[in-house]
Amino acid sequence: MMRVTLAMKPMGGWSIPIEAESIVPVNFLSGTDLSVWRGNRELGIEEAFSVLVEGDADRAEDVEVVLSGETARLKRVGEYMGAGKITVLGDIGMHCGNFMSGGMIEIQGNADGWLGREMAGGSIICRGNAADYCASGYRGGRKGMTGGSVEVFGRAGDFLAENLAGGTVVVHGDAGDMPGAEMRGGTLIIHGDCRRPAANMKNGACYVYGTARWMLPTFRKVGTAQQDGRTLIQFTGDVANRGKGNLFVGNYEYLD
Amino acid sequence: MTELLVKNAHVIDPLSGINGETMDIAIRDGKIVEEVSAAADVIDARGMLTMPGGIDSHTHICGTKVNFGRYMSPEDMRAGRTPRRGPMHATSGYSVPTTYGNSYRYSVMGYTTLLEGAMAPLEARHTHEEFAYTPLQDTMANTLFDGNWSIMEAIRDGDVKRVAAIIAWMLTAVKGFAVKLTNPGGTEAWQWGKNVSCIRDPVPYFEVTPAEIIRSAIEANELLHLPHSVHLHCNNLGTPGNYTCTLGSMGLVPDLNPKRQTLYATHVQFHAYGGSGWKDFSSKSEPIANLVNMRPQIVMDMGQVMFGRTTTMTADGPMEFNLYRLHHEKWSNHDVELETGSGIIPVIYRRKNLVNSIMWAIGLELALLTKSPWQCLLTTDNPNGAPFVKYPEIIGLLMSRRYRDAEFAKVHPDTGSRVPLPAIDREMDWYEIAVMTRAGQARALGIQDLGKGHLAPGADADVAIYPIRIDEVDPSAEFQKVIDGFSRTEYTIKRGRVVARRGECVVHGSNATIWVRPKVSENYDMGKDPDFVEKFDRYYTVRMSNYPVQENYLSRSRCIETETEL
Repeated sequence: MMRVTLAMKPMGGWSIPIEAESIVPVNFLSGTDLSVWRGNRELGIEEAFSVLVEGDADRAEDVEVVLSGETARLKRVGEYMGAGKITVLGDIGMHCGNFMSGGMIEIQGNADGWLGREMAGGSIICRGNAADYCASGYRGGRKGMTGGSVEVFGRAGDFLAENLAGGTVVVHGDAGDMPGAEMRGGTLIIHGDCRRPAANMKNGACYVYGTARWMLPTFRKVGTAQQDGRTLIQFTGDVANRGKGNLFVGNYEYLD
Repeated sequence: MTELLVKNAHVIDPLSGINGETMDIAIRDGKIVEEVSAAADVIDARGMLTMPGGIDSHTHICGTKVNFGRYMSPEDMRAGRTPRRGPMHATSGYSVPTTYGNSYRYSVMGYTTLLEGAMAPLEARHTHEEFAYTPLQDTMANTLFDGNWSIMEAIRDGDVKRVAAIIAWMLTAVKGFAVKLTNPGGTEAWQWGKNVSCIRDPVPYFEVTPAEIIRSAIEANELLHLPHSVHLHCNNLGTPGNYTCTLGSMGLVPDLNPKRQTLYATHVQFHAYGGSGWKDFSSKSEPIANLVNMRPQIVMDMGQVMFGRTTTMTADGPMEFNLYRLHHEKWSNHDVELETGSGIIPVIYRRKNLVNSIMWAIGLELALLTKSPWQCLLTTDNPNGAPFVKYPEIIGLLMSRRYRDAEFAKVHPDTGSRVPLPAIDREMDWYEIAVMTRAGQARALGIQDLGKGHLAPGADADVAIYPIRIDEVDPSAEFQKVIDGFSRTEYTIKRGRVVARRGECVVHGSNATIWVRPKVSENYDMGKDPDFVEKFDRYYTVRMSNYPVQENYLSRSRCIETETEL
């Protein structure tokens, strides 16, 4: 096992986020000669972090990267990650786990926008809140997340799991506006409340255990269904998109 | 005074009657000259294939429609990213790249002149502004007249001279180059929620037919002595069985001009479909090519489809709506008051799809079955059939039967029974490719007298030197060398300067815009015509005085003044 601890140095007055797509477990197999970017300036990893490497590994699965310090403005950590583990002790910046295909990311604090964007496999656990566009696709793209799992123990922002095409997304708290918009597959579970779920959904399943506010009128009510010992009201749609998706809600309110 | 001497060039220059001679090309102050002094800079072309700079006679690169394609497809900007390098700006995008992306990629392929295929007159400023940021090519714009209210009223009244006068005023006002008819009448019918199915259907309210619009526009075009002919996108694009409509439209065209064609039919691949529906969809390239072979007054371009992702964009709004109903993906629709409209849809052409495979074959068939390469020019209707960066592959397909067979083996297995392509043996030669990519365009657009498309003394020094030795390469077998060679020039020279070298653009450049001002007598000046002025005041959202594009929108203005019969 190899354990790489990256303690982020104080930003020293810099407000520009650091782009750190190089922080992926596999990269540490060949040493710590990596760089990150602050705006248009390339920094050696030692300039931005205190680096401590313990143990040894010859495959990415055996590498764990632990991030600590002021990581709330550290972007693109774990991008294209295929194996291994990343643990973030505090908050993490935008685009964490973009395009991830395997391995695991655990965030003890909150995650900024675009957590697990377009991920294809692996798992992400966020113990705090996730901001907008968690587990979503990207601007204009036809497919968002295609596989893997994202679990958020706090709240999620707007456009959660937008364009979801596969995999599982679970949010234990509330979600914001438009969760599961343009969904075409996969499973989205929201334990709390949300607003306008599953707009224009084509396929897949969306569960809202709490109340769906501003419920869209383009879903057809089918009946009730049992899930996790709860009785949920089942809808199908989005009829406006000739959709065949299933939307299950604990309660719903139409916009007056 | 700047001088440049290109030595040992292996030249193919069809308009000058040169087919493969090793010679020197002398350039002074942006023009080809007989000879230069000993102080001239020298480029040793070492026997490489040297041709006039490429001309694209139908491409969509600048304007509101193209830009809306960019808005609609932010995902397209994830492809084709290049960082800033030397004088090159950062670029991004694949089917609808940034203007610099278009300009650099064309330049690297040796293209020096581009015709924007469709400019809505009301939105002309946008086109000209983007031209200014397409610095490595000279540009011109087809101007849309397919649904112009004033013109349709003049046609209804049988007044061709008035049609010509309106065209003259509009072209001058918007700094346009030629008359474009996109689904004539159809886009106006679309504003009533309808379409026209072919050339005999009347347009709602105006009660004129597409046939009358086409014929009147052709007559008016010749009255104005415009350099280019009418540029027609036929009715009924993309519909199974539409070839009869295309033949009918081509049948309307008299032979009125000894110097060039009387009708330029664009992206004919999209108009050469047989069958009564998608189930029995087939190629009808043969009857179309046969008709064109018999009619020297018609020139067409291929509108070749190549497999992969792209964006369709056209002023043909109703057609894009039909496409939307097929794909059920994102779609945009736009109305241009009193003039025309447009629609945009991103698409993916797939080899596994039978219809797409047949479309791919039809474009090639049109080129191979048309006897004279001067009558079928190479385009993809960029980006509708494919982005223009696919041109080298198309050249490879036209030059190599073996390459065609290899690609044919990869398309949908039922394609063979629907298309004549497998039976065609023709392999084009270098000269024919030179005609289909520059000389033919220059003649068809009527810009050879402006010094475009040839290398005779006095011509613009737009030269493309490709790293191909044509006496050593057998295009039939070594098609990959052909594709690589045409993808990246050794040197692209524009206005006497090297602008691209082995894939890198080396100067910032500055484009010239070619436009037309027909000289009409006082009686035919529509700016003073009470009815025309009143229509403007009553219906347009802009004032007539604000409508014309000021000349300072053009970074270099090359105005062609024509003597007219008005």
